[in-house]
Amino acid sequence: MASKSDRTRNPLIDQLAEELEPVRPITFRSGAILIALALLVTVLGVEIVDGLWRGIIAGEASAFFLIANGLLLVLGIASASSVITMAAPRVGNAHDGPKWAMAMAAVLPVAAFVTLLGHDHGLSQMIDDPYNLTCFGSALMASILTAGALVLWLRRGAPVSPDKAGLHIGVASTALGSLAYGLACPIDNVVHLGVWHAAPVVVGALIGRYALPRLLRW
Amino acid sequence: MIANEQSLVRLMIASQKGDKQSYAVLLTEVQLWLERYFSRRCPPHQIDDLVQEVLLALHKKRGSFDPKRAFLPWLAAIARYRWIDHLRKVYRNSEDALEDFDAPEDSEEETVIARLSLERMFVHIPDKQAEVIEMVKIEGLSIKEAASRSGQSESAVKVNIHRGLKKLSALVEKAE
Repeated sequence: MASKSDRTRNPLIDQLAEELEPVRPITFRSGAILIALALLVTVLGVEIVDGLWRGIIAGEASAFFLIANGLLLVLGIASASSVITMAAPRVGNAHDGPKWAMAMAAVLPVAAFVTLLGHDHGLSQMIDDPYNLTCFGSALMASILTAGALVLWLRRGAPVSPDKAGLHIGVASTALGSLAYGLACPIDNVVHLGVWHAAPVVVGALIGRYALPRLLRW
Repeated sequence: MIANEQSLVRLMIASQKGDKQSYAVLLTEVQLWLERYFSRRCPPHQIDDLVQEVLLALHKKRGSFDPKRAFLPWLAAIARYRWIDHLRKVYRNSEDALEDFDAPEDSEEETVIARLSLERMFVHIPDKQAEVIEMVKIEGLSIKEAASRSGQSESAVKVNIHRGLKKLSALVEKAE
């Protein structure tokens, strides 16, 4: 094996040192600002296109509306934080937060299905809801900007678990997207929120887990 | 003696600002550290290639180092990521055998390296998977030879390698 003095003459090191340009280091703060801006622009977009539901401020929203959107917010923040951290890898990082937040948010669809079981016309209530697909599709559309920002962030960084990173991007962007569009949706019953505002997160998780890793490998 | 954590952080911060001299010193220290790091899990003649790959990865992703955090855990994560990539690419080569090669012992960094080590990752995958990955991807045995030595069928060896590498890739940041 070569000695240390030989190693110092490694031509690759000379070349890399010669090519060195200053870089701005990645910090959690800059990632958080980027995602917060993406969410803010999304909410503004929802306000322009559909108009936010003024009933929220007027106190007309049901408790379940606030709980459901609160759970989506917590899930979105937990998953987005995990993604932001993944850009600067280190042995010792744990990304368990989103796992517990996902379990917590799973209360939404479970509550919806339990409610459906207790109603004679539960299934028809779920299917006949005229706004179901509108909310589902709009929530996915409202996820695109945040998802793009998270992908760009990770491509600038060095994610070492692309599969997990893809999953967390999918969950974070759709949870925040569903929340953003949810602020324009005045339907605040358990079934609508538990099924049609939670379903985009499941779809986002699947897309993120299976479609995004190829964009994140380096 | 490889530079300590604080020195490496200072060198990396200076490098991110464009200080070429600090960067050359840093890369030289990193090279020495990586040679020791990979020595237990790589045949000696493959170490140079792997070290070069990690140096290039470090250069490309140098912006991903957060100056407020430790340097070696960051470097180890990148090294593990590249190592798993390397394992996927390795094909049987009789010259690849590790045989009786042992890493040089060094007292002070042992604790740090042990915590960040590649061996630590094997603890988290089933023994059957770790065993055949070691035989085929590290020692260079053929599937048939690994099946014979491990007592697993050839298809089980292939499946266990595939599943084991998949699990390893999810453990890059695992410390304990």
